[in-house]
Amino acid sequence: MIKKLNSIRNMPIKALEDIARQIRIDIITMIYKAGDGHPGASLSVTDIITALYFDVMNVDPAHPEKPDRDRFILSKGHGCPALYAALAGKGYFSRDELPGLRSLESMLQGHPDMNKTPGIDSTSGSLGNGVGVGLGMVLASRITGQDYFTYVVTGDGEIQEGVVWEAAMAACRYKAGRLIVFVDNNGRQSGGLVDEISGLYPILPKWESFGWHCQEIDGHDFSQILDAVEKAQACTDRPSVILAHTIKGKGIPFMEDDNSWHKRVPTADEYREAMRILGGPYL
Amino acid sequence: MMRMGNTRIAFIETMAELAQQDPKVVLVCADSVLVVKGKSFAQKYPNRFIDVGIAEQNAVACASGMAACGLIPFVATYAGFITMRACEQVRTFVAYPGLNVKLIGANGGIGAGEREGVTHQFFEDLGIMRTIPGFTVVVPADTEQVKHATRAIYQIKGPAYMRIGSGRDPIVDCENVPFELGKIRILADYGRDIILFACGFVINRVLLAAETLSREGIKAAVVDVPTLKPLDHSGIVPLLSQAAAAVTVEDHNIIGGLGSAIAELSVSACPVHLCRLGVPDIFTRSGHPEPLLDYYHMGVKDIVDAAKTAIKRRDAKA
Repeated sequence: MIKKLNSIRNMPIKALEDIARQIRIDIITMIYKAGDGHPGASLSVTDIITALYFDVMNVDPAHPEKPDRDRFILSKGHGCPALYAALAGKGYFSRDELPGLRSLESMLQGHPDMNKTPGIDSTSGSLGNGVGVGLGMVLASRITGQDYFTYVVTGDGEIQEGVVWEAAMAACRYKAGRLIVFVDNNGRQSGGLVDEISGLYPILPKWESFGWHCQEIDGHDFSQILDAVEKAQACTDRPSVILAHTIKGKGIPFMEDDNSWHKRVPTADEYREAMRILGGPYL
Repeated sequence: MMRMGNTRIAFIETMAELAQQDPKVVLVCADSVLVVKGKSFAQKYPNRFIDVGIAEQNAVACASGMAACGLIPFVATYAGFITMRACEQVRTFVAYPGLNVKLIGANGGIGAGEREGVTHQFFEDLGIMRTIPGFTVVVPADTEQVKHATRAIYQIKGPAYMRIGSGRDPIVDCENVPFELGKIRILADYGRDIILFACGFVINRVLLAAETLSREGIKAAVVDVPTLKPLDHSGIVPLLSQAAAAVTVEDHNIIGGLGSAIAELSVSACPVHLCRLGVPDIFTRSGHPEPLLDYYHMGVKDIVDAAKTAIKRRDAKA
């Protein structure tokens, strides 16, 4: 039986907060320069991605294909500016790549592409599929004998997709303890409030009834994120879901919970204001 | 009397051979273990048999994750449930990243779907798969060909789709003509008056038609096209050029499959008079395979008539 647990909490919370702030600066700058992208969903998932890449996950940017690395799937692929900024911050590729987001020659596609961007473990962007792909990675580890965790982040709107629940069932049947799923619960989706558009709520009892180990946290509190990961890692006989309450547009007050920022590009004035708030340079 | 084989068993026996040789080979089912006769495989390789339940989208998503970790998953269930219900997972999570996933579709065609009716008769699979970049699309003619094709798609790195049948699949008496992925097979060669292209479980009908034509003084070549994609351009174009008339016969919608593939190649490389036989873009009925194929104009007489029509058109233009 696989015994390894990742050693986490190697980073002071303050350091993680600083990294997340830089990632937010990068997100807004990328989308401003690209003239396209999804700021709201990128900002809501930033702290989860920061915690995973800069504290939790066993990865080596110098060897992005290392067979025993932990895997990460951003199932809500439209939040990829956050992932790209994190990967650049880790050193998978140069930060100079970031402004190329969504442009023809760039390695940074509109949604994550595992063949074009170093460090991306799965192509994503079509919603609902990351849990199943992640389950496949966990099942593969049992055959290859490699020792790793697979982390998946879905949106809350995203789990309206039926294939999520196909995967939830199968993950329980296969006792996929090495599968840890975050639901980035920002309460909003393209067309408005999740609660108004779907009959999704309550979320956690659904996962519970599918046999998952369930936790509920503040998805912007690093201490809670890391605690939840530790508990999820310790649960070896069931897959884990962490319902992370987040704010769409988190970190930039004029974007927070304003769903027009689902997909919107800041004006020059808005960009300048965002940089002032985040303490970033106006480029 | 036509000899019958079981392409599902031919597939799974070859899978077992491959699993024996290669620890990376995995069978993924969507409660389709009985469909593909996989019980003994599952017993012999319990760790390399994954059944996600009646959930084809997740079967393909899981296979994507496994392939991304270096395994070679074969996802096997009904042709339509892989190529239609899970189409987007196939396209975005297998084909787009170019992952080494093999898809095996049972009940390919109305003959193989036979008495189940339209819900289990799949005659759009080849057209769908042909439009997805990067996929190899294979339609073996019988049990022996399925064995060759299974090994062949295992040997290439990247996504592939292979059609199999109902388990009551006609055997074609042409095993001396070797299978090579990406190549046509000339199964009968009376001459070059007309080329009869075919794929899948209708080949015996085409062989009979060629025999009939020969008795009437029309010398045909019967060409099996087991690999629809990539299409064997260098094998096909000279044949088109020699005969300047052709017929395609396939147990598939007339749109998107062999007929379309040959027409597309012909129109750009060597325009010929072409008659296409197949399901005439309608929903079919249930019934025994042989009368069913006759009913939808894939009978021997239909093939003979189509050949004569193509020749007449060619000669009228000459």
